[in-house]
Amino acid sequence: MANGMGELTVENVNHSYGTGKIKVPVLFDINIHIAKGEFVALCGSSGSGKSTLLNLLAGLTKPEEGKIFVNSEEISRFNENELCLFRRKCMGFIFQSYNLLPGLTALENVELPLIFAGESKKKRRIRAAEILEKMGLEGRLDHRPNELSGGQQQRVSIARALVNNPSIVLADEPTGNLDSKTEQEILDLMRQMNRESNTTFIIVTHEQEVAEQSDRVIYLQDGRVVQRRTKPA
Amino acid sequence: MKFIDSFRIVWRNLWRMKLRTALTSVGVMIGTAAIVAMIALSLGLKANAVKSLESWGNLTELDVEPAFYIPEEDRVIPDDERKKLNMAAVQELKAVKGVAAVMPIKRIRGESKLKVGRREGYIELVGVDVRESAAYRKDEIEKGTYLTGAPQEVVVSYYVPREMRDVEKEKREARMRNANKSGGGGGEVYFSRRGGGGGGEEGPAPFDMVGKPATITLTREYRIDDELKLEKKDVRVRVVGQLQKSENFRYGSAVYAPLSLVKEMNDWLNRSRGEEFGDTSSRRSRDKNQDEFVFDEITVKVESREMVESVVSDLKKLGYEVWSPARELEQINKFFFVIQMILGGIAAISLLVASIGIVNTMIMSILERTKEIGIMKVIGATVYNIRWLFLMESGFIGLIGGMTGLGLAWGAVELVNYFGKAGGLMDSLGFGGGGEEMTTLAVIPTWLALFAIGFAFIIGLLAGIFPAIRASRLSALQAIRSE
Repeated sequence: MANGMGELTVENVNHSYGTGKIKVPVLFDINIHIAKGEFVALCGSSGSGKSTLLNLLAGLTKPEEGKIFVNSEEISRFNENELCLFRRKCMGFIFQSYNLLPGLTALENVELPLIFAGESKKKRRIRAAEILEKMGLEGRLDHRPNELSGGQQQRVSIARALVNNPSIVLADEPTGNLDSKTEQEILDLMRQMNRESNTTFIIVTHEQEVAEQSDRVIYLQDGRVVQRRTKPA
Repeated sequence: MKFIDSFRIVWRNLWRMKLRTALTSVGVMIGTAAIVAMIALSLGLKANAVKSLESWGNLTELDVEPAFYIPEEDRVIPDDERKKLNMAAVQELKAVKGVAAVMPIKRIRGESKLKVGRREGYIELVGVDVRESAAYRKDEIEKGTYLTGAPQEVVVSYYVPREMRDVEKEKREARMRNANKSGGGGGEVYFSRRGGGGGGEEGPAPFDMVGKPATITLTREYRIDDELKLEKKDVRVRVVGQLQKSENFRYGSAVYAPLSLVKEMNDWLNRSRGEEFGDTSSRRSRDKNQDEFVFDEITVKVESREMVESVVSDLKKLGYEVWSPARELEQINKFFFVIQMILGGIAAISLLVASIGIVNTMIMSILERTKEIGIMKVIGATVYNIRWLFLMESGFIGLIGGMTGLGLAWGAVELVNYFGKAGGLMDSLGFGGGGEEMTTLAVIPTWLALFAIGFAFIIGLLAGIFPAIRASRLSALQAIRSE
């Protein structure tokens, strides 16, 4: 299966949790193709398997059956270290609870992926400050996470996800902890970044507002894809 | 990831849990301090012991004599079996492994006087093999050069120019004093005695005799019809050099001359005596001596201090008796080896306990930082990055312990040295042979300091291996979910 940068394909994936005899099947026969630059929402009630699917896409879990291709690479066959390197190079993550390192300032948190990538101090400072400014945090570079509001923390988190120019950004309930006004701001930011750099966004959400503003919504129910709705252009 | 960045992250983590870092490194600190202080003490004691031995002579120089007695067989060696210090012996000694040079010596202990200008003094003439001894004696030259091999050269020891007196001048001064004494009052006598006699009481002022011509006067005595006769012979020589001050007082007023010159003088002294007496038995022995010139001493120079013990045992097998402070060294080495083993054992145990402490601390901080590790893995840290960070962290705990331990040991060493000096501990331990030379009880050489720090760092690294692997194996997904 040939894929370009930012493209993502899931082929015949079945997955279950648990070990040994007691297995809880979670995903059944998933087939998805997401094109470059798409802004896709993964929706479904809790327990529908949407978070599991996201983890599979991120390479945090390996599928029991089936193949997952990201950027034409079969990440379901990568080992742990290859996955780490692949994430560093091609993927950005946004979490519901932000997951910023509490000991580091906003700037340092955004710098961290570049530190692991071996970027020089000067270059990464410039890059991190630039992207934080885009997020509207120019006055907050030296604040620690506990000195920032939820919305601000999520902006730092988005900046961190985008700082190494990934081709795909995966977000797990990015607006779940935010009020509706902030939710809209964050959503607008993500859409803006999606458009500007043509980065593929895959967002797990159960909020209707998020789903409505996506290019496409994939509904999951009891581990199966039940509906694919493409937003009319 | 760049090294400097990993260093910053590690440092930040250690600083964040500074109390725990400090407490954990205390274990390493105590272990390191124990090792360093103990090794420093045993090194210092050993150095003092060796120094006090060295004041008896150079440790790599052995004086060889024929053995008279074999303790193993409880047997006195009869005269004809006994080794002789002749040329054959010199060749035999040269062949022993580890021997750098064989320096035979012939002494003239009879009446020999050295005269330079108007000064003169009694000396001990020491004939040396110029070629064999040059390499080792050159360094001991203070002024001028060592014997070059030219026939009429001599080198004097440090004390010779300081003990030679201007006999004529002293006589003149003595006469003047006597004159003053008879003419002046009591007080004046006192003053003049002080002023004039000072030179005589405190020893003559040293003078430079290097490069000056000198005369050695030999005196032999013989009887004719119960009448004691003295005969003198002057030998013209040139003083080419003077040796440094030496701790070794065995050669106090020695004048070193080429062996051939001393042999010639020796022949003159013996021959005339024998001829004058017309004694056939002594003539026979003299003839024998001429066939087989026997030295008074043979000094063997050993290549290095480490070789001394093996050379000593080889020489004993050949039938020589060896006198050297190095024989004491053997005992000292054994003694300190035992001490070092015991102290090493104590330190090893304390470091083992300390390293378990590090492992414990690291596992605890991994538990605490599980979520952080997960986040780092998701945003681009590789398995190796994580492993490296935790390895460095525990290595640094070891390093901190090592450095503070070194500081502690240094303080302890200073204290011991201070009180040791004040209390004369060295003397009571029996290592005070050097007397005024005794300075420090314990020393921390650079290699020991570096070794201690390096060792503590390695202990930390080793203790970090297991926790680091554990950290890197954490599932990113579960790590993120943990709170």
